[in-house]
Amino acid sequence: MSRAVSKSRPSTSNANHANRYTYNKFGSRKESASTRETAIAGSLESSRSSRENQNQNHNQNLNPKKISASSEIDYCNHYIHTKQNAISQIRNIANPTEGYPKLSKLHQLKRAQVEKHATTPYGVRVATDKIIPTINSWIDNYGLKFDVIMIGALVENQFILPLLNSIPISKLCAKPGFLFIWATTQKIIELTSLLNNDNFNKKFRRSEELIFLPVDKDSPYYPDNSGDSVSLLEKQQWHCWMCITGTVRRSTDNHLIHCNVDTDLQIESAGNKKKSSVPEAMYRVAENFSNSNRRLHIIPSKTGYDCPIKIRKGWVIMGPDVILNNFDPMNYSRELNAASVVQYNTYANGSNTGANAQYLVPQTNEIEDLRPKSPVSGGKKTNST
Amino acid sequence: MKHDLSHFSSFISFMLDFDSVLDEPVRGELRTIMVLYQMKQKSDDGKQESDYGSFLQYLIQLNTISGNCLVFDREINENNRNVKLVYVNRTRLVMLKDRIEGKRGWTIPYEVVSKQRSFKNSNEELLAILSSPLHSRLEINGVNNSTNEIAECDYETLDKLIRATSARSVLSKEKARLKTVEKKYFQVCNNVNHNQILANVCFKKNVDHQSITKNSIPGMAHMHHKIDECRNMISQDIYSCSKSKIHFLPIINSHTEVFSGDCSYLDTCHKMKTCRYVHYFTLNPLIEGNDNNSSADENEIQRQCLAHEYTIGECFSENHRKVIPPQWINCDVRYLPFSVLGKFAAIISDPAWDIHMSLPYGTCKDEELLSLPMHELQDEGIILLWVTGRSIQIGRRALLQWGYTISDEVIWVKLNQLKRTIVTGRTGHWLNHSKEHLLVGVKGNPAWLNRKIDTDIVVSATRATSRKPDEIYDIVERLVGVHSRKLEIFGRDHNTRPGWLTIGNQLQGSFIYETEVKTRYQQYLGTKEGP
Repeated sequence: MSRAVSKSRPSTSNANHANRYTYNKFGSRKESASTRETAIAGSLESSRSSRENQNQNHNQNLNPKKISASSEIDYCNHYIHTKQNAISQIRNIANPTEGYPKLSKLHQLKRAQVEKHATTPYGVRVATDKIIPTINSWIDNYGLKFDVIMIGALVENQFILPLLNSIPISKLCAKPGFLFIWATTQKIIELTSLLNNDNFNKKFRRSEELIFLPVDKDSPYYPDNSGDSVSLLEKQQWHCWMCITGTVRRSTDNHLIHCNVDTDLQIESAGNKKKSSVPEAMYRVAENFSNSNRRLHIIPSKTGYDCPIKIRKGWVIMGPDVILNNFDPMNYSRELNAASVVQYNTYANGSNTGANAQYLVPQTNEIEDLRPKSPVSGGKKTNST
Repeated sequence: MKHDLSHFSSFISFMLDFDSVLDEPVRGELRTIMVLYQMKQKSDDGKQESDYGSFLQYLIQLNTISGNCLVFDREINENNRNVKLVYVNRTRLVMLKDRIEGKRGWTIPYEVVSKQRSFKNSNEELLAILSSPLHSRLEINGVNNSTNEIAECDYETLDKLIRATSARSVLSKEKARLKTVEKKYFQVCNNVNHNQILANVCFKKNVDHQSITKNSIPGMAHMHHKIDECRNMISQDIYSCSKSKIHFLPIINSHTEVFSGDCSYLDTCHKMKTCRYVHYFTLNPLIEGNDNNSSADENEIQRQCLAHEYTIGECFSENHRKVIPPQWINCDVRYLPFSVLGKFAAIISDPAWDIHMSLPYGTCKDEELLSLPMHELQDEGIILLWVTGRSIQIGRRALLQWGYTISDEVIWVKLNQLKRTIVTGRTGHWLNHSKEHLLVGVKGNPAWLNRKIDTDIVVSATRATSRKPDEIYDIVERLVGVHSRKLEIFGRDHNTRPGWLTIGNQLQGSFIYETEVKTRYQQYLGTKEGP
């Protein structure tokens, strides 16, 4: 039936070709537009979908059937038959920048630079109901501000709306500032309304939706699928929204941010058997993106004994389950001043106040050379990172 | 009345066996405990009943000799007779029992659990009831502790019970496995040496490497022929590997700078002739097979389907019914009355969102999309909506507005030619983008869905701009069944599929198989042209 149909279709092949595929000279699927010279006239009525393709064009002498049958790996099909998770089959899990030496080098340099200028790891152990009062006292007594604020962790119980609603976010977060907030698929509607409510006041723009994936079912990060009667599919993902407040421009504010260093998808390294509240890769995305040195991580609720909170250089981590409890706002400010390049923003009236200081990780020429940049001449494609 | 030592042993055994007298419903009420004890006594040896006063005396004497093994909420005396038991020191009871029975040493046959309960107000009672399964043990036969029929009724046991996979999920997964035709799956060879040697063999006769980038490059079969010719020059390992695994052969041209690494665009690079980054040729193993083989496969599937008896979510003619051929209608989706199309179990849509970028195709205004009469298409079923960047938010809003609850978010992990995630090429504004989102919404209460067969992650290679992976169709077909009516809105020619009706303005002509739809569509065309 379908064959008859495709024959009866008007053979206005020129309008048609953009949607058809053949196998290009590199053995992979490519749009026929660029390889049209090699396409055989008889193939015009073939290959409406890859399935039909297999049945119809065996009269061609290119032997495309043999190739097409093995060309693309169908990981979903493989999962149905073997339960082998597709993510574990991705070839750059262990080393995401494999094949890109410049990018690898950039990651390495950024990492060293961030570490060199990082404050000692700080922990603030406070009960859930004392988080807001503690933050308020920081603001009132010490004028503390942070540029990068992460909220939540890879535990289902962290999304406590009343708490998130009462965080004095506009006072706590500097401008420009960056928010990384964790949520599950089910909490996204609430998260959306949170960002639109009075407290967040629509000041934070949802800029990227980061996804963290556990590598397979044995992973400690594999989400809890029990008791979930809403989902149609097995849940395997964690969402982390990256939100921006204030103005940053990716072409001119390279002292503040470095764009396109990381991707919006982070996969757990294979063979990882220990869970921590937030995987290192996600802290690194925040550190690589924002060059600010004041980083706060709020973990609103208990994470449990099998999900310890790992302290991290350059971060103040607060929550009821943080083991370290060494934070002192005075010491922190002192250390921050010593570790960072402090930059004061002058206002139009010439006054510059300490309240608007930016504490930055200084950048090197080498990093500047390697980092991906916006194209200089309009529309010209840069073919590398 | 003074009691003999031996009189106490039966009460001690009673207390040790029924340590639940402190919990609901007895709650340490001494009158109730007395009645319970006497009932047991009666059934054991038909002893005489005594009154409450002497029972209290009995308890006071027991406390004296056991070192206060029973703790009451107040002192027992003539005025204070409504006393509650709040604590039982089991260790002391056990010790006393051993002494009475003349045992030597300190063997403690009962597990010693001391507990204290006090019920101050109803809230606390409730809390005690609620939290008890988490701390206490569940005694299966209840009466005699000497049989070891004790189930751990702690958090972990309950958690395990909740997490246990349901039979339905196991069965539907197995059914999906039986019904899905298995596709050939090849591992990728990660041995750098293999790839390099095979590249040398395959490309060696091209004296000028420049020619590789021209159209004169032979096909896959030819490459394998070359490898066969050079079989003696390579080790048996590599030869057999080339026949069973996928290899990526580096193409090194005179302008290639190997130290610069791989091209960001690999096989989709537009400037391959001059690009100084490394490109690859995918050497797939050849499949020896023909059409007879695949139809045999299908027969096998048929057989398996007839054999299995788990048919929940299937239509009665599931196994002998033919799938409806691909149908499509070229139309402007904004103006087509959806009532023409009928109702669907699944809808998939990949709208050309207006994302403020110059794209090679016309885009669709948000309002136009939101105002589509989607409620006419489904009473109960699922919808899948591709979204990107800014449109993720609009998409979520649209689904809610159309009366759906968002149940899942499928992530398409985009792979490049080398089966790696895409990490370069400035594909996003702030961060690089190596995935896309597909929102899944549910309307009504479709009990007939086969839930949790696939995961919400689809790993698949990228193809032409805006073309989405075909794996999604398979997932939907497993969810709603191959015979359910399925609709794709804003589809193009490559989206037409058996079992699916595709509508969109980039399709070539129309083909409608279902008579009802055909009639209604012709009527609609008639009225359109009529006046």
